[in-house]
Amino acid sequence: MNKRGTILVENVVFIIINLIFLSLLVIFLLKQSSGAIVLEQTYSKQIAMLVDSARPVMVIKMDMEKGRKVAEKNGIDFNNVVKIDGNIVQVKLSSKAGYTYAFFNDVDVSAYAERDDSGKYTSMYVFTINNKVSGK
Amino acid sequence: MKRMSKRGTDKVLSLYWFVLLTIIAGGIFAMVYVFYGAPYDVRGIESGLFAEKIADCISKKGVIDSDFFSGKDFNRNINETFMKKCSITFNVEDGYGDEPDPQYLYIVEFYKSADLINIKYTNQPVKPAFYFYRGNLNFYVGNVNDPNYAGSHCLQEGDKTYTRLEECNERRLYSTGEDGEQYLIKILSVIIKSQKNVRQ
Repeated sequence: MNKRGTILVENVVFIIINLIFLSLLVIFLLKQSSGAIVLEQTYSKQIAMLVDSARPVMVIKMDMEKGRKVAEKNGIDFNNVVKIDGNIVQVKLSSKAGYTYAFFNDVDVSAYAERDDSGKYTSMYVFTINNKVSGK
Repeated sequence: MKRMSKRGTDKVLSLYWFVLLTIIAGGIFAMVYVFYGAPYDVRGIESGLFAEKIADCISKKGVIDSDFFSGKDFNRNINETFMKKCSITFNVEDGYGDEPDPQYLYIVEFYKSADLINIKYTNQPVKPAFYFYRGNLNFYVGNVNDPNYAGSHCLQEGDKTYTRLEECNERRLYSTGEDGEQYLIKILSVIIKSQKNVRQ
């Protein structure tokens, strides 16, 4: 190869390596912000704050599209992502234990994943707030 | 001194370039790790919501709920039923380790407007006409058990050492009692929950 050709190949390799390097960095940043652990914490705290600010009888819809994608990737049914036991919210997007957070509002909350007419999940979660039935 | 050829110089420059990129990438990795590794601190929002919930329960349309009065006086037993009446629970999930229970505190104080006006002339601390509280008493300034109790306030506001331990919120509202007397209601709400909101 002549001298001019060698310089061109070196430059191309240099640019490609730089691009790979930057792409890895961007992928790392995107993965960090949409990781299961981060999303579990975000969603459980958001849901707890929503319930704390809610009053009976309210129906609240929450968009959890990122969560649905992560759950499906990890083989978790979207309808099992959010569990509310008493006043404790548990969000689970992977096979691990998930993240729990408590709300102080002593109300009865039920949660389910919304489906469209064809039975597919719409990425929305529906929370129904009701007065606690005494003795429950 | 031997001079480096152009190609040699380029190679050294490329090496420096990658060393520089590695340092930048390391910095970004470290920053991202620090940012996403720390839990989201929602206690500020939570303590605000807690105070609002209490305020909504005490005063409706500017009038104090009749349950807070017993005849012309305050109902001294209101605290026993307050949490149930206002649908508040202090139950929390596991994961708070050695933190003292409960993770919440509320102190509600009622001041007569007339007493607050008189402070201009007496220059004495105003005592609340009535107050009640429940929760973890480790994080506030005041002594609720003192017979000369003259109110509470948040612990060391603005001090980072204390904001790590708790998030405190003070809300004030004016409302009218059944007897037509105007009251200043001061609500102090504290959320502790540092294990789940602050990097340990």
